Amino acid sequence: MTEQNIIEGCIRHNRKAQQILWKQYSGYLLGVCMRYATDRPEAEDMLQEAFLRIYFNLAEYSGTGSFKGWLRKVTVNTAITYFHKNLRHKHHTDIDDYVNAETGSRGFEEDFYTAEDLYRVLNELSPGYRMVFNLYTIEGYKHQEIAEMLGIDVNTSKSQYSRARAILRKKLEELAKLKGIYT
Amino acid sequence: MTEEERDNDLGNLFRNKLEENEMVAGSDLTGRFMRRLERKEFLRFNPARFNVFYLAAAAAGLAVAGLLLFSPPRNSDGTAEDQTPQTEMTVIAYDTNDTVLRQKDTVTTKVTERKTASGTVKAETAPGGVTDRPAAIIIPAEETGSEIRVNGSGQADESVALASSPIAVIEASVTYGCVPLHVRFTGPANEGLRAEWTFGDGGSSSVNNPDYIYDLPGKYEVTLTVTDNRGRMSTATTMIEAWPRPAASFEISKNDQLSDDDKVTFINLSAGAVQFLWDFGDGTFSTLSDPSYRYSQAGRYDVTLVAYSESGCQDSLTINDVFSDKGSFIRFPNAFMPNTGGPTGGYYSQRSDMDNQVFHPVVSGVAAYNLKIYSKAGLMVFESSDPEMGWDGYYKGQICNPGVYVWKVRGSFRNGQQIVMAGDVILLNY
Repeated sequence: MTEQNIIEGCIRHNRKAQQILWKQYSGYLLGVCMRYATDRPEAEDMLQEAFLRIYFNLAEYSGTGSFKGWLRKVTVNTAITYFHKNLRHKHHTDIDDYVNAETGSRGFEEDFYTAEDLYRVLNELSPGYRMVFNLYTIEGYKHQEIAEMLGIDVNTSKSQYSRARAILRKKLEELAKLKGIYT
Repeated sequence: MTEEERDNDLGNLFRNKLEENEMVAGSDLTGRFMRRLERKEFLRFNPARFNVFYLAAAAAGLAVAGLLLFSPPRNSDGTAEDQTPQTEMTVIAYDTNDTVLRQKDTVTTKVTERKTASGTVKAETAPGGVTDRPAAIIIPAEETGSEIRVNGSGQADESVALASSPIAVIEASVTYGCVPLHVRFTGPANEGLRAEWTFGDGGSSSVNNPDYIYDLPGKYEVTLTVTDNRGRMSTATTMIEAWPRPAASFEISKNDQLSDDDKVTFINLSAGAVQFLWDFGDGTFSTLSDPSYRYSQAGRYDVTLVAYSESGCQDSLTINDVFSDKGSFIRFPNAFMPNTGGPTGGYYSQRSDMDNQVFHPVVSGVAAYNLKIYSKAGLMVFESSDPEMGWDGYYKGQICNPGVYVWKVRGSFRNGQQIVMAGDVILLNY
């Protein structure tokens, strides 16, 4: 089946087409969800929400632009909705997380860290920081856009991004030390 | 490596590793999702998926329709009235002395009560005679066991007060407000009437004047049903609106990149709020969302943030002693290597001294500060009262000899705690 066939099949709610779409993109989109979630179960929950949205809104995909990009966008939007829903309960950050976030002086060796390492440090961030960091660094949104999406102040977006960076840097350095000991 | 380069590096690391990263969605997850999808789709009708379930639903629908067609015929006046005495009455007033009902010419009011499918009861009052009814209706009187007479007129009888149908009226102390919203309801004043309240959020009460608290925001329909001892009912409804309360939350930035050391930036993390009032604890206030503030004096400050929602609901958060020990520290390196090109003046910032050419502490929350550095011979080679002014390794324009130097610092943190520290530093070979 071509991509076009799959999309049309899914619009007709054809079970086979839905399964193929899931098979092709669930891995990639789970990877996206993992960046926004606190842990794997939350990411899987998010992924299911995202796929439901995808199946029921597929008719809105205009066909222009990459299909994968559209899927990712829907997934990121789902993550934002998820974040808003859970905002109330997870609004604090451990003060130790950033007071002691001193900045080291060296860069990061890419081969040194696995994707799992990076997911882990992201998962440990507080939801707000993680959201801003993801949207800015990986999704490439501007602070103004992020502020609108999350309903926060531009300055909040900026400062959360800056502190998320500092925390990540510190955590990666700690991880490097640990790895240095054990490898 | 500069600050910006390191930031790019961090961003690249995450982008390159994670942007296209694929994980494995296990068969367990796939199974769970497919079941969920099926449930979701079943609830949304879709002709393309017309299957046995819809067929069964359609058959059930037809069966119900058939039953309705063959149900008992309706009354001559067209309304589907119940035939039981409590629900179909022509009652205006009672006279308990008589045991026989007497017809009066001036029947002006007809009270029809009927149960609806949902169990609520509606009271309707319609003008007009009841000419198609028997001349007299015998209604059993519950209290006496005897029969009572219905008198057709609404005002003529002396027992009006006793006999008038109950009328439900709801009085609420407030009808809107912020959660948790405490509402005092006032129902029937007459003790003989039975009240049944439903509060619209699943709660109910049978007290005449209940107190109720709404914990969750929303619009709630409150229903009061009043029943008298003859089983006659009346209902009233009113709306209560509970508004969401914002959540005030903030943090204090200790990030040097955002503010210079003495200035504190407050980062507002409040949710659901549109206006703010900050109390910095020293008599100063601000209405900015994320204010920065410079305290003029060391000490203990309790900072309060009040967040207001659009509807005026408020929430506040106070952090006591914002400059507690956690945010106050001073740390010195134990070595540095002066710039051999000449005295640099000793001023440093995070960006300007990446090569560690100036000996300076890393500080936070410092109010007063005095650093003295001595050579092994006891000569004071440097003194500074500004934590941002470090030692460049020069004394009177001459670079000092490599070796160990001793430093001593006195001062105080903003929270009032004293600083007395001493240590040594190695001036490295250049």
